[in-house]
Amino acid sequence: MPKKEYDVLIVGSGHSGGMAANILTKKGISCLMLNAGPEADYQRDRTTKAAHELPYRGFNKPGRLPHVYQANEFNANQWVDEKENPYTHDPAKPYNWVRVRLLGGRSLFWARQSFRLSDLEFKAAEIDGGGDSWPISLDDLAPFYSRVEEIFHVTGRKEGWPQFPDGNFIEQNYPPDSRTIQKVTELCKTRGIGVSKMRSSQGEGGLASSINLLLPAAVDTGKLEVVSNAIVREITVDKKTGKANGAFFIDRHSKREMHVGAKVVILAAGTLESTRLLLNSGIANSSGVLGHYLHDQIYGVSVVASVPEARDGKAKPGMMGGSAFIPRFRNLSKAKKSSFIKGYCAIIGSGGSASPNHFAAYGEELQAKLDSYQGSCVSGSIYGERTVKFENHVRVNKEVKDAWGIPVLHIDVKDTPNEFAMAKDAADTFEELFKDAGWEILSKTDKFYPPGYSIHEVGTARMGNNPKTSVLNKWCQSHDIKNLFVVDGSSFVTCGWQNPTMTILALSMRASEYLAEELRKGNV
Amino acid sequence: MKRRRFLQALSTAPAVPALVQQAGAQQAPATVPAPAAPGRGGRGGATGQVPHIPVGTPDDSADTVAKFFTTGQFATLKKLAGILVPPVKGNVGALDTDAPEFLDFLIGASPAETQTLYRNGLDGLNASARRKFAKAFSEIDAKQADEILKPLLVQVPWVYDLPKDPMKHFVYQVHSDLRTATRNSPEANKAAANTGRRGGGGAGLFWNPIDPV
Repeated sequence: MPKKEYDVLIVGSGHSGGMAANILTKKGISCLMLNAGPEADYQRDRTTKAAHELPYRGFNKPGRLPHVYQANEFNANQWVDEKENPYTHDPAKPYNWVRVRLLGGRSLFWARQSFRLSDLEFKAAEIDGGGDSWPISLDDLAPFYSRVEEIFHVTGRKEGWPQFPDGNFIEQNYPPDSRTIQKVTELCKTRGIGVSKMRSSQGEGGLASSINLLLPAAVDTGKLEVVSNAIVREITVDKKTGKANGAFFIDRHSKREMHVGAKVVILAAGTLESTRLLLNSGIANSSGVLGHYLHDQIYGVSVVASVPEARDGKAKPGMMGGSAFIPRFRNLSKAKKSSFIKGYCAIIGSGGSASPNHFAAYGEELQAKLDSYQGSCVSGSIYGERTVKFENHVRVNKEVKDAWGIPVLHIDVKDTPNEFAMAKDAADTFEELFKDAGWEILSKTDKFYPPGYSIHEVGTARMGNNPKTSVLNKWCQSHDIKNLFVVDGSSFVTCGWQNPTMTILALSMRASEYLAEELRKGNV
Repeated sequence: MKRRRFLQALSTAPAVPALVQQAGAQQAPATVPAPAAPGRGGRGGATGQVPHIPVGTPDDSADTVAKFFTTGQFATLKKLAGILVPPVKGNVGALDTDAPEFLDFLIGASPAETQTLYRNGLDGLNASARRKFAKAFSEIDAKQADEILKPLLVQVPWVYDLPKDPMKHFVYQVHSDLRTATRNSPEANKAAANTGRRGGGGAGLFWNPIDPV
């Protein structure tokens, strides 16, 4: 006999799980949240240290976290240990799976860029044929975006551009742009490129996480219980009804195996962990597409230029500094064709300094150059949408298991010519722009990081109206098992160039309200 | 830690026993407390404030023992350190911070691919010096070193797209590593603190291991 049966079991405590708990508990629904890792104590677990006090002088321990390029010796302990939690890939097809298992998950560390998807992404099949369309449109999700933006205190400048949908923003007075940012804006205007400002979640106290914006209200209802260090191994299904009825989990420390019962199961463990759990459970895959259509965004393409008038400390007040944000501007209509489909956004930063890597010099000569170029630089970098392919997939590798005996994922993803063409276009565009401004190009690269680096991995349990070609319906509900929902990035059909967090939150909110209503009606 | 610093630190540590005594005087127990159970003494059983004993890092007091590179390779690395990252404008240089000794340790603990890059690179520079000047790299002058090194310098605008030529790759890597080892050294930190200039590696928020298994 189970000790207790909950209305809803939520696996994962990041933004999507936190939102599900927030919505459901406020409606009186009892929830149990299982999180694979511990809860961080921000006072106990963080210490200010000088780089020279670290064992490896800031270099990080050699060979540790080979896939997490974001890791350094200061933050190494926040990421998932790749020895305890390995995954596999063909060496010729690298994939950077960047994970956090602390309570709150990756919501503790995200960059807080807060965008809505547009109908360019929701209706991808109609726009460019690159991937399928979602079963929902911006109109369906807009009310939920607005409520999420209110909770997360999103700032932004309204523009009225269809590719960059406006939101429920906190009004903000932006200081006048520096003259270098003005120059970029003018040059973009002549090319028909719109320049705006970054949209960002302010959160509270510098944190825009589930642990401070979503979970406290859920806890206050008395309807949420949270268990940490609980590694879910398998979703269990009642053979008679075909419905999910709970999960097996393993205590992280003792490795004791437990089972918990629930009327509904919500997966919110992050795209690939949720899909791994479904694959290991052998459920929700009558379509055969579970694990497929993994995609994210390209990062790394950049151009850096130096403003000659700003060198040697001669920049006049108002010349340097500030930033601009350029939302997608390529392929906005069917009529305009370029060498690739989809698009990218760009961030322009002014007032930075040159890096030693920019100069083929050393010693005093290098120092003289670094001094001369200090504060004189303008940079442009992009986030671009990767195309969606059935072939880009994950599967269970039964030959390799994690520290708790659970089979790991094998990730099989390869970039296509579209990504390379997009990257080249971006590098060429910003090189030309900066040259037209009269600035010296210091570096230009059309190279980009391996898939996964963006930490925006989505897909693998995509939503759709057709149960034969999708895993979830438009409510993030399994086509196969009606009381199973997946509310993280797994459901994405296309990712766009946008940080997916606002969309994940809005989808989770929408799915949770749907579930609450279905529970009330007795339909689940 | 130097004895003087230790004594200074002790002199500023809170007088914990006195505080405990005061608290006891204000709240006189009705009965004599039972003695602590066996094994509950020491810090583990402390109920008051425990003195903080300031501790230093190994670099405060000791030198790294270089043992990975051969004598010839290490001499080449030291020569490189002096040329690539000299003391400039009051900043400390790589040799002031024992950066070569630190890299001997770091590369010795690194994956085989990195070790091979360094060993072959150092041997390659040495061979080049012998071929051009009939001397070890460690014995050539600055002008001769320039003649060997400058053709191997390249811009690296993308740190994950390193030069295909192994010698150019090595020179980029050792230059970058020497700069980091120097900037993040105790000596650079101290120099930056003393002068108020930028240059030291500075401080950051370090995440301790969180509830490790």
